[in-house]
Amino acid sequence: MIEFQNVSFAYDKGSPVIRDLSFRVEDGQSVGLIGANGAGKSTVMKLLLGLLTGEGKILVDGLEVRKENLFQIRRKLGFVLQNSDNQMFMPTVYEDMIFAPLNYGLSRPEAEARVDRALGLLGLEELKHRHNHKLSGGEKRMAAIATILAMEPEAILMDEPTAALDPYNRRIVINIIRGLSQTKIITSHDLDMILDTCDRVILLSHGELVADGPADAILRDKALLERNRMELPLRFSGK
Amino acid sequence: MHMADALLAPAVAATMYVASGSAAGVSIHQLRKDDEPGKLPTMAVTAALVFAGQMINYTIPGTGSSGHMCGGMLLSALLGPQAGFLSMIVILAIQCLFFADGGLLALGANVWNMAFYGCFVGYYLIWRPIMRSHLFGQGRGAQRGRIVLASILGCVITLQLGAFSVVLETSLSGITDLPFGAFAALMLPIHLAIGLVEGLITSAVLLFVFESRPELLQCVDVPEGEGSKRSLKAVIAVLAVVALVVGGGLSLLASSNPDGLEWALFGNSEAGYAENMGLDEEDFGVASTAADKAGQIQEATSFLPDYALPDNDSPAGTSLSGVVGSVMVAGVAVLICLAGGFFRKKRAK
Amino acid sequence: MNKMETALHELSQMDELAAQSSPIHRLHPAAKLLTTIVYIVLTVSFPKYALSGLIPMVLWPVLLFQISAIPVRTCFYKLRIVLPLVMAVGLFNPFFDRAPLLSLGALTVSGGVVSMVTLMLKGLFCLMASFLLMATTPIDSLCSALRKLHMPGLIVTLLLLTYRYVGVMTEELAIMTDAYLLRAPGQKGIHISAWGSFLGQLLLRSMDRAQELYGSMLLRGYHEHFHYAEAGPFRLRDGLYTLGCGLVFLLLRFVPVTRLLGSLFVR
Repeated sequence: MIEFQNVSFAYDKGSPVIRDLSFRVEDGQSVGLIGANGAGKSTVMKLLLGLLTGEGKILVDGLEVRKENLFQIRRKLGFVLQNSDNQMFMPTVYEDMIFAPLNYGLSRPEAEARVDRALGLLGLEELKHRHNHKLSGGEKRMAAIATILAMEPEAILMDEPTAALDPYNRRIVINIIRGLSQTKIITSHDLDMILDTCDRVILLSHGELVADGPADAILRDKALLERNRMELPLRFSGK
Repeated sequence: MHMADALLAPAVAATMYVASGSAAGVSIHQLRKDDEPGKLPTMAVTAALVFAGQMINYTIPGTGSSGHMCGGMLLSALLGPQAGFLSMIVILAIQCLFFADGGLLALGANVWNMAFYGCFVGYYLIWRPIMRSHLFGQGRGAQRGRIVLASILGCVITLQLGAFSVVLETSLSGITDLPFGAFAALMLPIHLAIGLVEGLITSAVLLFVFESRPELLQCVDVPEGEGSKRSLKAVIAVLAVVALVVGGGLSLLASSNPDGLEWALFGNSEAGYAENMGLDEEDFGVASTAADKAGQIQEATSFLPDYALPDNDSPAGTSLSGVVGSVMVAGVAVLICLAGGFFRKKRAK
Repeated sequence: MNKMETALHELSQMDELAAQSSPIHRLHPAAKLLTTIVYIVLTVSFPKYALSGLIPMVLWPVLLFQISAIPVRTCFYKLRIVLPLVMAVGLFNPFFDRAPLLSLGALTVSGGVVSMVTLMLKGLFCLMASFLLMATTPIDSLCSALRKLHMPGLIVTLLLLTYRYVGVMTEELAIMTDAYLLRAPGQKGIHISAWGSFLGQLLLRSMDRAQELYGSMLLRGYHEHFHYAEAGPFRLRDGLYTLGCGLVFLLLRFVPVTRLLGSLFVR
């Protein structure tokens, strides 16, 4: 369970990026976090992961996001970055995948087993010993997701998981996301993907929560979306 | 300025390894004490950036040739001397391992020549004193001036030290018969020109960083307000003119091939070096008049004694049996190749 | 292809070679590293006129090329960087050192020529040796070998991370260079007005990238220690290889093999 209680955040002396944000995500939910550029989606992710510290309270499974709890909290959360190159810092996929399990204290055989499990789940066994800088864009994204799955986190956060993917790879990633049973929070401008993968949507604008409800309802509300500088998902915009 | 393995005697190479290794040890110790775990990814990304940045061609105005950046000063101004030094080691190691630029054995010497001077001498004796001084007065304009001055001075001086070390190490290794004085007279002026260009490039990059994110630079107080309004362009122009005058016409000699070591030795026909040294990349060693001239140069400049010729009994000596043996070794090598090809084909079937 | 693309191509070529399989590839990286270093040191230590002594050293790289099936062509392509330098220094020797050292009938060879050829061969042999090391050993195995040989973790980790981002940065600069030159026809390089901003822009972006990268490391539990893929145990086979090679190199270095061979036939 993830909970934001009256959270605000501003970069030093600047105007607030997040204003008095409160919401709660239950275990097993899939939540799409949407909003125009600069609405504060990425900041919400960083606050939740403890990469930024703001005012108010953020709870993960009842633990407050604070320095002394970070190690425990981060173990529960897997974050897939938008730029896979920034996420995958080891030379090969295998080493990247095994990095987190080893850091969280697993023995090498256990960690290996996790890596193989994650690769098997995504059907990516052939990527295991490939070099990160020689993967295609789609392979890179999939490998990045595998890296996070190898942590076996309780919740998965994803920042624009389908950005810059071709339609084929986008569909594969969507199917992968749908197949994940963990709690999910996904930020994206790809509202069709959000519709496919999330049952609930939180709409942010200028750092404030504007709407929170079933994905199907919010993503059909043309007026609401347009007021917040967004458009209907493609499948609803046709006649 | 990357030296190859073959240019160094093992004893010289080992000495340089010890020297560079000690500097690296001290740096690691210092960084551990500072305990900034976030610095590691910054070092890696900046090192990778400098590695790639060395391949950029910068057009030198008015010459039609291009200059390059080596990056020691840039790294120490951004990361501090210790982190800059370690990053530079890694850059040189990758160049030597994957691109055959330098060599495994020569790595110690290359680190010393290119990283140690640029990072430690450049930082402690040039960058820090100048940045902390009140040269050019107060305010942003003065700070810009200090950045330009420190970059240019730093690059010129550290490159001179590096080039001198190359000469010294090669001569001590007894590899070349080229007299020490002549070698130095070739290397130093060319690296003066290269240093000037590198200094200007470095200062341009650092000024850009200063304008946008001054807190990234070492020893630079984040300025409040504009202060004295001195035009940046004026400072650069004045310094550039001074630097160019100091360098004489040398920058005009800068060729499209910026590696001074190669350049110094192969010469640049436009610049007249080829004539002086009797060498040209195309027809080296053919003209006997050039050889005579070189011999005269040696008589005039030599202050290293001639190497004594080994007699035939020394293990190094060459003799008829040596020649025959060598031919046989070559035969064995060819046989190995043939056998390898044979077995591979067999396996492929 | 611009310079950066060439560099990227070379990098990926080395990765591909190192990913192949052969008896040499399967050796422990520490064994390969040690033998390579011993080989280079002994090769370089030959005196300047010791041409005939040096020549048998060629056998080891030739043998390795054959066993590991690494194409020699890729290696010789890299010669373009090493050889000019070595030749440039060596080329002076025939001018300065013209005392005859060897006569074969009418042909007299001066000391300078012998020392020049010796120097060039040294350069060639050393290049082949370190090329073979990298062409049969992936960087991650090499790093784990360095750790085993007690190289400080900070340097090894930095090497690993930098290697990873060299690819990323070089690619970005390759694209930026193309983009620049497309809008600046006829220019060979970056104009002075963009000297600072060209690299500076990327530098600022890289600093943000480094922050994000650090975040990503933290999120995956990074604290002080970095974990490497293990290179596997150093087996008897690896020990024997190192020892055997070392002994052969010493033999070649201190016994005049060529002259002994030759004296079987001529006196």
